[in-house]
Amino acid sequence: MGSPRPRHLVAGPLLVMALATILGSTMLLPGAGWARPLLVAPGVCSARWLGEPAAPPAYYAIELVSTRRVPGARAASGVGNVSFARSPFGIAVAPTGEYVYNVDLQLQGLNAQSRGVYIAWLTTAALDQVKRLGRLDAAGAIRGQTTWNKFLVLVTLEPDDEARPRWSGPIVTRGMSRSGRMHTMAGHGPFQLQPCTTYGY
Amino acid sequence: MHYVRLLTPRRRAAWALMVLLIVGSGGTAVSQQGEAAKRTPPQEEMSHQQHMMDGMAPTGDALAWRMPPMDSNMPMMPGLEAATPSVNPFIPAHGVDLTDFPVARPGELMDLADGDEIELTASIVRREISGREYLMFGYNGQYPGPLLRAPTGATVTVLFRNEIPMPTTVHWHGLRLDNRFDGVADVTQAPVLTGQTFRYEVYFADAGVFWYHPHVREDIQQDLGLYGNLLAVSADPDYYGPVHREEFLILDDILIDEHGIIPWGEEEPTHSLMGRFGNVMLVNGSTDYSLEVARGAVVRFYLTNVANSRTFNVTFGGAPIKVVASDLGKFEHEEWVTSVPIAPAERYVVEVRFGEPGDVPIENTVQAINHFRGEFYAHVDHLGMVHVADAGAEPDLSAAFATLRENRDVQADIESFRPHFSRSPDYELELSLEVGELPLPIILSMEFERGLYSPPMEWNDTMPMMNWLATGNEIRWILRDRATGHENMDIEWTFQVGDVVKIRIFNDPEPLHPMNHPIHIHGQRYLVLEMDGVPNPNLVWKDTTIVPVASTMDLLVDVTNPGDWMLHCHIAEHLHAGMMLAFRVDG
Repeated sequence: MGSPRPRHLVAGPLLVMALATILGSTMLLPGAGWARPLLVAPGVCSARWLGEPAAPPAYYAIELVSTRRVPGARAASGVGNVSFARSPFGIAVAPTGEYVYNVDLQLQGLNAQSRGVYIAWLTTAALDQVKRLGRLDAAGAIRGQTTWNKFLVLVTLEPDDEARPRWSGPIVTRGMSRSGRMHTMAGHGPFQLQPCTTYGY
Repeated sequence: MHYVRLLTPRRRAAWALMVLLIVGSGGTAVSQQGEAAKRTPPQEEMSHQQHMMDGMAPTGDALAWRMPPMDSNMPMMPGLEAATPSVNPFIPAHGVDLTDFPVARPGELMDLADGDEIELTASIVRREISGREYLMFGYNGQYPGPLLRAPTGATVTVLFRNEIPMPTTVHWHGLRLDNRFDGVADVTQAPVLTGQTFRYEVYFADAGVFWYHPHVREDIQQDLGLYGNLLAVSADPDYYGPVHREEFLILDDILIDEHGIIPWGEEEPTHSLMGRFGNVMLVNGSTDYSLEVARGAVVRFYLTNVANSRTFNVTFGGAPIKVVASDLGKFEHEEWVTSVPIAPAERYVVEVRFGEPGDVPIENTVQAINHFRGEFYAHVDHLGMVHVADAGAEPDLSAAFATLRENRDVQADIESFRPHFSRSPDYELELSLEVGELPLPIILSMEFERGLYSPPMEWNDTMPMMNWLATGNEIRWILRDRATGHENMDIEWTFQVGDVVKIRIFNDPEPLHPMNHPIHIHGQRYLVLEMDGVPNPNLVWKDTTIVPVASTMDLLVDVTNPGDWMLHCHIAEHLHAGMMLAFRVDG
């Protein structure tokens, strides 16, 4: 104890605030203990058994939640299925070691908009990189791919389908990769007496 | 086994009091090393000063329990500073004079023909790793064991002799040979005791790269060097594309600190949660594998992962890689890849072209997890170096290398199985885990993580304290037949020769510490039809495949070989913690 705090950690709480702003108040609760894990919904991890087609792992599925900010899409909801991209090895891994994931979004409750179109995005947990997946199709679906370890999924209402480096319109739905729930053990479990803010978040 | 009743209020309170006492007395559990390191050199891993482990300071006795090396940025769990596994430490041949044993020599090639008879002896050898000598095991005094190369269709008699101080057998991994010679102790043969012999008839049925290893305490014997490759050579001279040379890379790791090899568990393996990861990487038993090639050379690498638990992600410094084959032969078609993820016991055959002069590193490049910080971090292990000369390779194979071959022979072989692809599974296996009495901080930590995130793959041992303390006494890994509820060796599957059996495997993410499992089936071959509902468009015959956490995988097994066979996880510690079943094939 007592060594200088690593510089890269200084930005930690700021990133958390940014994340909390994006994700709304349901996932990260500032206060004692800072972060509170989401509970796994019952049954989400069930396998596909006899007679049922196999499907992407429910365990890594991303729940897409409405921000309730966009008229005509306040009741929107959806799921982002995360599965390994096709690979001769079964698991798909980048040469730098990250998983290569397909992200399949399927939304419902989106009414057609006269003032824009629904565009899907992926962004890192630090929001420093953004990938435009594109416009949702008529069924509210789109597929993308990522190698980010932790990422957010956003659907925004954009004025048009023009390719932009990042979103400009309001966020319609948002979700976070399962890996994004992982955070420091400081303040939790066997390390509950450690100050978690020392370790970023 | 007494299974834990998790986190009763009373135990929680007792544990919290313990932590208060520890911290209140000036101790701390948390390292401030902070920054996620790209690679922690072994020497930095070896000091535990920052882990506050005065209570278990090493005595200098290599046989004494001491905490295995761990990344310095990982903290010690409070309350575990003096904890040791529930088994006795064990190092074979501990205390004997090194100089009484011969220095092992690098593995040699044995070219064999049908009807040949050879001798294979497992014995104690002297090996040098990173400048220090150790007593290890070797086949025929070599590391790895000799490469046995024979044409497909050949049968070779191997007169095996056991000169190591433990019972052992030889399993011919992936070969569809006579069941009597599969080498599974107490299933197909009695263990070969020290000084005894066994006569194996080894049949090279399929063109492919295979390997041999013990099927008794693999966690120890394999780790100490008992492994070697087998190559079954096709009669078709054009079976693979043209290359300038062939290389066999056997990937391994070993767990060593400044006092020597970290002991294994005597009665049961340690490291039963995640398997025993090493901290020193070995290629063909050496830390300094290197290869000299001419510029433009195309090299066919036969990769075999013999590590107890580590899955490697092998890269060749950005050189183009073509994957051409796996366990029992070629893919339906060749593919470009950028790295080669290879799980324990898997094999891949890749061709690499080294187009530019200079040094090309062979590395294991993964994204590990710092569970304390809740972060991924890049982790790179150096595996070897390819030195590419200025002089150009002759002949020029660039055009052939640039062509991805369609393997009509493989496609034709698989064609008759296609009617089975879309039908429902015949059997379903669930991969699971039961955790017994482990120290409460470990249970708390596992419970905390379970609610957050379990990765699909564990690329290295990022919870070494927890893992080391978990032995076969506390951990039971499970294969569960969903139809009957039977588990592991209580499962009774019976097939007929000629059956085509579809097995669905689901790796349950809900247990306290789920993990990836390389599933191996003895004596048969199978196709991985699909994973997580995505059909596999490029099939290859396999005997081992990795099932990530939360994934569902459909295997189609070509049942051709009568006898009593095993299906098991090839992480040595998981196998010994119960994760195996036997099935019968009637002929």
